[in-house]
Amino acid sequence: MKVTFPHMGNMYVPIKVLLETIGVDYVMPPFCNKKTVEYGVTHSPEFVCLPFKTMLGDFIHGIQNGADTILFCGGVGQCRLGYYGDLQSEILKSIGYKVEFISIDLTNMTVKEVMEKLKILTDGKSSSKVIKGIIYAVQTIFMVDKLYQLANYTRCREINKGYTDNVMKEFKNRVQNAKGYKGIKNEIILAKRMLKAIKIDRNSQPLKIAIVGEIYAATESYINLDIERKLGNMGVEVCNKLGVANWIMEHFIKNILPIKSKNMPHEAGKEFMRTDDIGGHGLETIGNAILSGKKEYDGVIHLYPFTCMPEIIAQSTFSEIQGKYNIPIITLILDEMTGEAGYVTRLEAFIDMLRMKRNFCKSSNQTETDAT
Amino acid sequence: MKTLLTLNHHIRNKKKYKSATDLVIGIPKGLFYHEHSRLWEKFFENLGCKVIVSEDTNKEILNYGIKHCSNETCLPVKVFHGHVYSLKDKVDYIFIPRYTSVDKNEYTCPKFCGLPDMSLLNLKGSIRVLEVKLHIDKDINFTFESLKELAKNINVEYNNVVEAFKNAVDLFHKNEEEKLRDGLNQVNKSKKLAVSVLGHPYVIYDNYMSMRLIGKLKNKNIDVYTPMSLDRETKRRNAYPFQGKVFWGVGFENLGSAFTFAEDENINGIIYLSPFACGVDAFIVEFIERRFKTHYKVPFLKLTIDEHTGEAGFDTRIEAFLDMIGCD
Repeated sequence: MKVTFPHMGNMYVPIKVLLETIGVDYVMPPFCNKKTVEYGVTHSPEFVCLPFKTMLGDFIHGIQNGADTILFCGGVGQCRLGYYGDLQSEILKSIGYKVEFISIDLTNMTVKEVMEKLKILTDGKSSSKVIKGIIYAVQTIFMVDKLYQLANYTRCREINKGYTDNVMKEFKNRVQNAKGYKGIKNEIILAKRMLKAIKIDRNSQPLKIAIVGEIYAATESYINLDIERKLGNMGVEVCNKLGVANWIMEHFIKNILPIKSKNMPHEAGKEFMRTDDIGGHGLETIGNAILSGKKEYDGVIHLYPFTCMPEIIAQSTFSEIQGKYNIPIITLILDEMTGEAGYVTRLEAFIDMLRMKRNFCKSSNQTETDAT
Repeated sequence: MKTLLTLNHHIRNKKKYKSATDLVIGIPKGLFYHEHSRLWEKFFENLGCKVIVSEDTNKEILNYGIKHCSNETCLPVKVFHGHVYSLKDKVDYIFIPRYTSVDKNEYTCPKFCGLPDMSLLNLKGSIRVLEVKLHIDKDINFTFESLKELAKNINVEYNNVVEAFKNAVDLFHKNEEEKLRDGLNQVNKSKKLAVSVLGHPYVIYDNYMSMRLIGKLKNKNIDVYTPMSLDRETKRRNAYPFQGKVFWGVGFENLGSAFTFAEDENINGIIYLSPFACGVDAFIVEFIERRFKTHYKVPFLKLTIDEHTGEAGFDTRIEAFLDMIGCD
């Protein structure tokens, strides 16, 4: 049995740790590229959201390289993600691939259920190995997320431009060849050390921008045209509110903990939507935009794939939020037709506007103090 | 800085001096209306309110909707906003229910969940909204909580509101049962052609959006069948591959109808009417098309509409389809 799985941002690192610790044979599809999108688009319905298409492309890549089992997630509710698995397995069947679909339910995720679903994978493996794998994987995801956050911190402050990019590129290459938890952990630590060694300008005060929106569009760098790197190199500090670690924390770890804590952005979002759930990350998007306004970010970038239903609703609240919390928000919609040049132009215009706003506020503050 | 929204919350919470009998409630003729009009009209009549339903969709209403919605919103939601806008000066309150799930294991499109807030925000708080929440899959008490709030807003005793609601629900179900007795579930064996029109009820029964598709077919002496000509259980039973699973309510309706009609020899063709970029239909139509290709022989036409659709092009495609299935 050979397992394959779809990409989502840096999710591949913990999955690699998990499968290698348990000792399951697997195929990792190549990082999302033109070919992946092409495969996906050929076989997908026209108006389905982009993650569906690229994930289908990942599966096809995986199957062509010998995989016969797919590890994926499903669920219930309003968002289409919950029903991906059903349609994807139907499509794969009709184009002639015979595969097993393992679908983990995300809405009511419990340890027991996950273990049960993974039973097909773990048959014949000792349960201590499985538990060790899960713990290692969760640890890895937090470490990787921290590393990427650190990169966002150094990238906009570095004195010699391009150093951070080089370190991260090197890390991405090396982590694919690293084996097991120990090997991957060493790579992360090494990259972290190299990032810390980069000379940065400690006095600079870069613009601070929050990324909110749909999780796949916000974390998958090929789909969002590497927005974090692009903004960082423009001298902007990016805070991605939708890390995979964050998501695991909300959906998995908080479910197990005996003390229930509230999901902050979710609660904040209820100011404009008087309901518990509008599907997907809709409420979190609204909440994160509000919180970014309160925490004095300079701006918010809202990313979502074309036809994403929850985010369209979230978008309708932004004209109010911008006025009330005095925070500029730009919405960028992504799909397979997105052209890079037009996208970059809009980003640059937005950044220029934020710089002007900041300078204007500074100068008006100064005249006020001068007057007094 | 006081924004419109906080102002609106203020208005919402202000004490009302009008009694319920003086209140005029507006019901927009869009989305939920086409399925549950009787339920909500009866509900407010029971409370002694005057009910005004917005007029049929027309060009003016559509233009209001387009003006007040973001580009990405789908056509039915834009039209709905137009209906709300057309009512705003005529009524005290506009009634917009919040449907999250209308039955066990059946969810709605996310846009229904945020509809009251979305209308309020898009129309910049120029309206006052009454809402009833339906989330049957999770907890039926959500409905009663929202009724409590509604009772406070219109200044009627809570027990009376619950009574009125229960009465309206009973009547609604009785109506549905009667419809079943009137020969549902049967496709007539006649020499006439029979075509099934599928899609969301708020698209196929809205004469402006659907460009009178059902009327046009009937004028050509064709029998028309919609998901409403089948009973609930049949549709759930045939909704491949979601039998017994969780899915969108409208998905069950259309998947089930498509496969039920496809198996019926008396049906000559199936037309699916879908709004542009509809997220739910992207899935449903794909399931239907893939299975039709392998399992059935019935001709299938998918028509996509949005606010730019021209009627001539639309008609041409329908005529071509009808020629193909042998209509003179």
